[in-house]
Amino acid sequence: MSEAINSPQSRTDYGDGVLGAALSRGDLADDAPVAPRRSRLYRLLANRDAAIAAAGVLLFILFPLTTKTFLTEFNLTNMVRNVSLIGTVAVGMTFLLIVGEIDLSVGSVLGFLVILFGVFDDRLGLGPWLAALLVIPIGVTTGVLNGLIRVLLNIPSFIVTLAMLTAYRSLALIISHERPISVAGEGAFFWLTGGAILGIPWLIIWMLAAMIVGSIVLRSTRYGFHAYATGGNPEAARDSGINIGRVKMIAFAFTGGLCGLAATLLFGYLHVAEPTSGTGFEFRVIGAVIIGGTALTGGFGTILGTLIGTLIIAIITSGMVLLGYSQGATDLSTGFLIVAVGIVDLLMQRAAMPSRFS
Amino acid sequence: MTVSPEPFLRARGLSKRYGHVIALDSVDIDVYEGEILALVGDNGAGKSTLIKILSGVHQPDKGDIVVADQATRLGNPHRARELGIATVYQNLALVDLRDVAANLYLGREPLRWRWFVDKRAMAKGAREIIAGLKVNLPSVSTLVGQLSGGQRQSIAIGRATAQNGRVIIMDEPTAALGVKESRKVLDLILHLKAAGKGVVIVSHNMRQVFSIADRIEVLRHGRNVGVRRRGETTPDEIVKLIVGIDSV
Repeated sequence: MSEAINSPQSRTDYGDGVLGAALSRGDLADDAPVAPRRSRLYRLLANRDAAIAAAGVLLFILFPLTTKTFLTEFNLTNMVRNVSLIGTVAVGMTFLLIVGEIDLSVGSVLGFLVILFGVFDDRLGLGPWLAALLVIPIGVTTGVLNGLIRVLLNIPSFIVTLAMLTAYRSLALIISHERPISVAGEGAFFWLTGGAILGIPWLIIWMLAAMIVGSIVLRSTRYGFHAYATGGNPEAARDSGINIGRVKMIAFAFTGGLCGLAATLLFGYLHVAEPTSGTGFEFRVIGAVIIGGTALTGGFGTILGTLIGTLIIAIITSGMVLLGYSQGATDLSTGFLIVAVGIVDLLMQRAAMPSRFS
Repeated sequence: MTVSPEPFLRARGLSKRYGHVIALDSVDIDVYEGEILALVGDNGAGKSTLIKILSGVHQPDKGDIVVADQATRLGNPHRARELGIATVYQNLALVDLRDVAANLYLGREPLRWRWFVDKRAMAKGAREIIAGLKVNLPSVSTLVGQLSGGQRQSIAIGRATAQNGRVIIMDEPTAALGVKESRKVLDLILHLKAAGKGVVIVSHNMRQVFSIADRIEVLRHGRNVGVRRRGETTPDEIVKLIVGIDSV
């Protein structure tokens, strides 16, 4: 304080003179453009999609060395079709992680909805079109329910959706009497979901459609801007008049709706609804999103990254199967990959983030 | 410097208590456009409470607020902003992982086709806001987290002025900055004043206060203990008002 008290008296030229002096020094424009320590992180973030794509290409090159059938056209199509439901729901999960939330219940919701689909289509005899028309809005409702509990009661989404994971699985078992529901599966509906056009499975087309819509929404709409702001700095977003509760609700509802779409596609493809469908699905969905570079901490991520993450899971799955390993081994390696991505993220943050972030 | 004859913002008898603690006790404040008012006082003197009331975050228990000759209530920050009172908080309220343009238009993005952000209009507007600030920034598509502390402060101030702010309240705008960056932010504040904005600045730095403020209002124990014009006082007198030594 003493320095502060004394100095103004020893200098007479304060006030507007400061501006004049600064202007005459001509140093108003000499900002170092970027703080060096921080810029390294942001360069890494910017190159993240490229790094993840490179990892995918690397896997793509490594697996064929171990097996002959990996690169056949049939296997490539199969490979992507097998992860198309993961990729579809991963679009919604990307939204959720960006707004700073998570949904662990997507696998159970998928199982619950596919059973509902079987009940509507077969037991109630409504037919597949009407069943789809009912199941997708019910999916949205499951998302809205998650969102309402999260936003209104302020319970972490981790807890809410963990509870729902158990609840919807139980519901699926109860409604189905623990027995699968199967149908003959003939007609336009089953072609449009489980079939293929020009050799491309409709499952893949639906996944890409969801990804394109999701990408446009995130990159170009007001909702997308508000989603990134909500996850990146909730207080700042709220202070700026963004209704962050509504932003989060929409992300939950969208994810629920995509679960409804995935249930529709799954039934259309398999012609059978099993109460255990979607067990472990949430792990693969969240894995695809995280491997795709979306931050668990919110505010950062792209659908392109999620597409790449989904394809990496496809490559691992197909490669492992061709090498003779089970789904369990695939999940094990996916788990390792998620941990590896997490560690790389942490190291990047340690290396580049100023104390503000730690 | 032309100072408008009537204060843009006039508050009388503002009082606020938190339980048994009297945070503000009948404080008056006048803020003129084209003038820099420094708010000084020790920790707990009531500076924060006062600016939170003026920015609409807190409501006073008693007291009247007149904005542009209209008696009014600043019921929430949004309402305060509508009336032309914008606040730059110490944490700046920026989204680090978004670019400069998105931050300048946070929550009020220009739209087209109803749901889509007009990115071109936003970038153009952002460039204009930055040109008006006379600060040097790499590009409006730079992520805010990449910028230096002073540049970030400039973005927060730029956003406040662009949102129709006629009075800008700043809480310790240079507290986290180095000497050179602080000077740039102070230059920016003087620039705002020259552009006819009213500025309320909370500061602990007496040198800074005497280098830019036109008037200095001193709070102690939630009371207004003096308002001085800069030319008519000394740092000594202000410090004595702050700590409460009445006789020299």
